Amino acid sequence: MKIKGNLNHLLNTAFSNFKRNKARTILTSLGIMIGVLSVVLLIALGVGLKNYLKEQFENLGANLIMIFPGSGFGDSEGGASGFGPGMMGGTDFDEKDVKNLQKIPEADYVVPVFFKSLTIEGGGEKFTGYVEASNEEIFEVMNLTPIAGRVFTKSDVQRKTKNAVLGYVIAENLFTEATRAVGKTIKISNQRFKVIGVIEKKGDRELDNSAVLPYKSTFGNLNPNKTFFTIYLGVNSEDNIETVKQKAEKILLKRYEKDEFSVTEQAEILSTVNQIFDIVNGILIAIGSISLVVGGIGIMNIMYATVTERTKEIGIRRAIGATQDDILFQFLSEAVVLSVSGGLLGLLLASLIVLAIRSFFPAAINLLAVTVAFFVSSIIGIFFGVFPARRAAKLTPLEAIRYE
Amino acid sequence: MGNDSPGKKPIIKLTAVSKTYHLGEETVKAIQDVSLEVYKKDYISILGASGSGKSTLMYLIGLLETPSQGKIFLNNKNIAQLTDTQLSELRNETVGFVFQSFNLINKFTVLENVLLPTKYAKTKLKFNPLSKAKKLLKEFGIYDRKDFFPNKISGGQQQRVAIARAIIMNPEIILADEPTGNLDSKTGPEILSLLEKLHQQFHTTIIMVTHEKNIAQRAKRHIYIKDGQLTKKYL
Repeated sequence: MKIKGNLNHLLNTAFSNFKRNKARTILTSLGIMIGVLSVVLLIALGVGLKNYLKEQFENLGANLIMIFPGSGFGDSEGGASGFGPGMMGGTDFDEKDVKNLQKIPEADYVVPVFFKSLTIEGGGEKFTGYVEASNEEIFEVMNLTPIAGRVFTKSDVQRKTKNAVLGYVIAENLFTEATRAVGKTIKISNQRFKVIGVIEKKGDRELDNSAVLPYKSTFGNLNPNKTFFTIYLGVNSEDNIETVKQKAEKILLKRYEKDEFSVTEQAEILSTVNQIFDIVNGILIAIGSISLVVGGIGIMNIMYATVTERTKEIGIRRAIGATQDDILFQFLSEAVVLSVSGGLLGLLLASLIVLAIRSFFPAAINLLAVTVAFFVSSIIGIFFGVFPARRAAKLTPLEAIRYE
Repeated sequence: MGNDSPGKKPIIKLTAVSKTYHLGEETVKAIQDVSLEVYKKDYISILGASGSGKSTLMYLIGLLETPSQGKIFLNNKNIAQLTDTQLSELRNETVGFVFQSFNLINKFTVLENVLLPTKYAKTKLKFNPLSKAKKLLKEFGIYDRKDFFPNKISGGQQQRVAIARAIIMNPEIILADEPTGNLDSKTGPEILSLLEKLHQQFHTTIIMVTHEKNIAQRAKRHIYIKDGQLTKKYL
């Protein structure tokens, strides 16, 4: 079959038809455009969110082990996964656990964290943020550097000083300018704390909205049970991560049941989060694909109409020597051109939208999105074009040429 | 029928061909038991009233229709044994159609219409399609209309374009179905003269279907058809 030589003719025919039916052509490819637009955007947002999460985790610093209550993360036996206080069940940790874990020689840092959402007052403003109670090592482990004042020290923790270090966003909200917070007083659950420092903006919603307090200072009113939600372990070398994990598990097993806590490293959490994320994103893309199918049906509809309208033309072509395959390819190529131009328009529009929202949402068009746009629209064109094209090819030449 | 020249091999041979159409419950015998031989250099007219089956006969000869009974041979090949692709190829290479209503494709220019059969050629062409198309348009006096769309030129001009399209592949036979039916009394004869010129110049076989006796008489061989059957003379 001489397809290559005829390609010019096929495209010429397709475009002269589109020219004659401009409005119809545009409306038909609009369906595919919207479908591809939604799918590509969802992929772009998905990729963006994943990158964002990855960055956030990397910000926490390498060689970090996290201990959570419950058997959530990193549990290869499955079970419900969740992320956040109160979502996991299991136990809370206490100072005794911290002391025990500090005995692991390869763990340079042992950072307990108590976390609570609260209204924080200061500078005549109120702000709903978080209290993050921890020890002085949290600043090192999480790479938190002050842009004004200082962070609290071991002695702050030991002496239970009422000193607080504020995240950038909360400081800015309470005192208009973040750096002016230093030296001011804030009120959390009727307790007064003195702001001794403000941390640089991290881009992490929780950290930026937190008041970081020495954990011992919160025992009582804010943290009556003297418990921790998480304990971070900073390991001295990547090679020791597995050792420290095992040692930590062994220590915790002396006090808790196996399913009351979980010891995971960052990478595991990231991969679990990614897995959940992929599923959600996949479902969204599947929903978005419905519009592609609708667009495809639109193409099919128009192609059927075109075949009927052009019955006479088909008859003429058959009379002068076009084979059934020639006719099939002619109509198929029109459906594909229609679909692919819609797809490329959708891709273009998606790229523009991604560019526009980039400043506040980390969306990204990747090769996958481009490939999907191109191939999906081609396949839609072929799939939904083949039925009308077959009808065109199966017309008997004589009936077609006599058609008025 | 009748004047078949013995000793020569026919290009087309119909033996006891019938064609039946089913219109709902009713069965219509469009062609009944027709045997016919067409030779090279023939100029045949098929004369018949409307509904006599003359167009069906022409479409059978032109491979656009297959017989219900009987056999059709094209250059000794039984066309019943050919696939759709092979039939299309034969139509492309061996037969050129000229229709009453011209049947040009209106979204293509005159030149593109003339070139159309070359797009469906399955073997390499022995000529340059573009220069041949232009040459034909020049010969037919419509070269200045080559970039016009068919609905922007006169009926006579459209029929010239259709004839150019019919002969661009150098067919052995031209099948003309009432070629002057849509033309006035001045352009009609001009078109017939053009066809006759092609017949003389290139010895192209011409089979012309018509219901007008005076047109039919211009041919060298006359075939009369009534109620799907060939008759001795026009009734």
